[in-house]
Amino acid sequence: MSVQAPSPKAAPSGSGISRAIDAVFNPRSIAVLGVTRSPGTVPYDIFHNILTTSYTGVLYPVAPGKRSIDSVRAYRYLTDIEDDVDLAVIVFPANVCERALEHCAKKGVKAVIIISAGFREVGPEGLRREQRIKDICDANGIAMIGPNCLGVINTDPAMSLNASFARKMPAQGRIAFLSQSGALCTAVLDYALGKGIGFSKFVSFGNKAGLTEMDLLEYLRGDDQTDMILLYLEELRNGRKLIEVAQRITRGPGAKPILAIKSGRTPQGASAAASHTGSLAGEDAICEAVFREAGIIRVTSIEELFNSAIMLTYQPLPKGDSLAIVTNAGGPGVMATDAAVGSGLTIAPFAPETTAKLSAALPAAANIKNPVDVIGDARSDRYIAAMEAVLADAAVDQMLVILTPQSMTDIEGIARGVCEVHAHATKPIACSFMGACDVVGGIDILQAANIPHYILPEWACRAMADVQRVIKWRSQPAEEPQQTPADQAAAAAIIDPAPAGYLREDQALAVLKAYEFPVPAYKLCRSADEAVEFADSIGYPVVLRIVSPQIVHKFDVKGVALNLESAQAVRDAHRDMMNSVHAAVPDATIEGVIARQMVPAGHEIILGAKQDAVFGPTLMFGLGGLFVETFKDVTFALAPIGPASAMRMVKDVKAHSLLEGARGTEPADIEAICQCLLRLSRLVTDFPRIAELDINPLLVWPAGQGGAVADVRIKINGETQPK
Amino acid sequence: MENKEIQDRVVKVVCGVLSVDAEMVEPESNFVFDLGAESSQSIQLVAGFEEEFGVEMDNEAALSVQTVGDAVTFIAKYVN
Repeated sequence: MSVQAPSPKAAPSGSGISRAIDAVFNPRSIAVLGVTRSPGTVPYDIFHNILTTSYTGVLYPVAPGKRSIDSVRAYRYLTDIEDDVDLAVIVFPANVCERALEHCAKKGVKAVIIISAGFREVGPEGLRREQRIKDICDANGIAMIGPNCLGVINTDPAMSLNASFARKMPAQGRIAFLSQSGALCTAVLDYALGKGIGFSKFVSFGNKAGLTEMDLLEYLRGDDQTDMILLYLEELRNGRKLIEVAQRITRGPGAKPILAIKSGRTPQGASAAASHTGSLAGEDAICEAVFREAGIIRVTSIEELFNSAIMLTYQPLPKGDSLAIVTNAGGPGVMATDAAVGSGLTIAPFAPETTAKLSAALPAAANIKNPVDVIGDARSDRYIAAMEAVLADAAVDQMLVILTPQSMTDIEGIARGVCEVHAHATKPIACSFMGACDVVGGIDILQAANIPHYILPEWACRAMADVQRVIKWRSQPAEEPQQTPADQAAAAAIIDPAPAGYLREDQALAVLKAYEFPVPAYKLCRSADEAVEFADSIGYPVVLRIVSPQIVHKFDVKGVALNLESAQAVRDAHRDMMNSVHAAVPDATIEGVIARQMVPAGHEIILGAKQDAVFGPTLMFGLGGLFVETFKDVTFALAPIGPASAMRMVKDVKAHSLLEGARGTEPADIEAICQCLLRLSRLVTDFPRIAELDINPLLVWPAGQGGAVADVRIKINGETQPK
Repeated sequence: MENKEIQDRVVKVVCGVLSVDAEMVEPESNFVFDLGAESSQSIQLVAGFEEEFGVEMDNEAALSVQTVGDAVTFIAKYVN
């Protein structure tokens, strides 16, 4: 037998890869390659874990030179095994993994999990080694998890597979967890065990040289054991594919929420992630845009990940965002109210019947408005009466029950009371029994009944807010990009023959004009006379701007003259500009000046676009000046976009209230901004050679009055295009 | 020292440290993939070779040797 030569044509795809992935999770037989007899080492522990967690298939240790491992007959080579092997778990050192995979190919193994480290994460030689093993897998249709990973767990009792070196098998549950970091997996497993959270599938995919998060997500979409997917990523290699796959999972019939942590939020964190996994950590703001467009709920911590996951898994989806709070302590009730409002929830106003019920059931000192304070001496009967009253109110969509352990508080009795109400409730309920010692018994009762519990009410509110994000996403119709009108040929006539570098200002303006941006009247003038003639034709005031390939920052060399109100002013400004530019940059080639209509002041907007190496054409929007420079108050989206995304971008920046008419100012023409974003989206999608484009500023006037491009720079990359 | 003699003595050390039969050991045998050496046994192999041949080897270089045949060539540089 011989190993098939690597051939891209033989790479697994479509349903073939799906079948191969199934061999990762549901193998009828497994061989562990490189097993040792040393407990406490990865090669032994993985074999031992599979053996001792009641795996329902057949297990073969491959351990050269050893007759048996834990009394199981061992084989020298994989190819010595007489029966078929579906899955090979490779724990050999990296330098012999290639040979191990050649044996897998000979044996017809469907899938491999390569636990071993020593690949791309160690540098160029490791990357080459990784490429070689990937080539073998691709050529032979083998689905590969890893290398450099913790392994895979499938809790389905029909399989009961722990092919990992995690210390314990998690409980069975409806949540799948996918992680790029193996070490984080072990921490998450321990955390979940402590919280009583179970999993359907648990995958550490390491360097993702073979199967990526996209393949695994696609597989989990059809997995009837999984209702929700949690994802930990350190880097995104294909944001557009992630959007495509995730949208299929998070929308439509049988939609499953995806919650994700993407580390590397800060440049320092991104750098740590890059050196950790040895790859491209994308710009975090663009990752944010990818997740938003994919319908993936991005969270910031493991705590939030599970807080939101248990709310989504254990409770029904609420009909709306209004919350009722029932508490035995005023302070935490107020804190919860603040947290709820801060998270975007609303505090439900009670109907008169509700307040009447509360008034009848609670002591006079109680607060019968939301948040309902049943007072410190409340026992379960009072809690139950309050909970039932507020849940019956049509204005209440969900309920948070808070308890502080006071000397007379029957913690476990109240927990049982919550369970009683929960048993017949149709609205989601969360609890916060605040504390760490006295409340433990009550928390155990709640968790056993799958009632989400949070140490702090703020965490409960955040989890409920994340649920709202899921609901909002599902209610948004899928958006088609909008084809704005454009004279593509006119733009191509400028862009295609342009060499790499910045377009001249008049060319950049002409490109925008071809795509129907609001460009004021302008002309490249070679002399003062020509500038005056043009100014006379369009009317005063006008602007002059120097045009020279050597001068990028025109203001620095006095290459801009504003508000010129007469022919004489234009002549004087032209003369002064030439003198100052020659003095500042004696060797500059001056091609003339752009004479342009002076446009009225307005809101200063920045629109940007770039071709990102990882994400393709991306758009940026922000308010100019301090908002961008100091507060970095900008938002991104992947082009192409539709009208809803354009509006979302405008509303996404913190300073958007200024555009909507804050503090008595006139609202800006937001529709005009959206139209410009849509035009920009089409432009950079039509012309991949546009490497960077900045409209800074776009001046925007009051609603209905439009705006005007005040300055633009377009940088072209790559080779000129033939006609 | 003849290569044949070095190889016989290398095989003897390998069989002793890894508890494998001599017929399993070929010049192209990889210590890990074919003979099942664990990481701690790699160190024992180097120590065994040093004792067998009465030489002191560069440990880092010795540990990077992957096959029996390469070990013979490596040790030959010390003993000859």
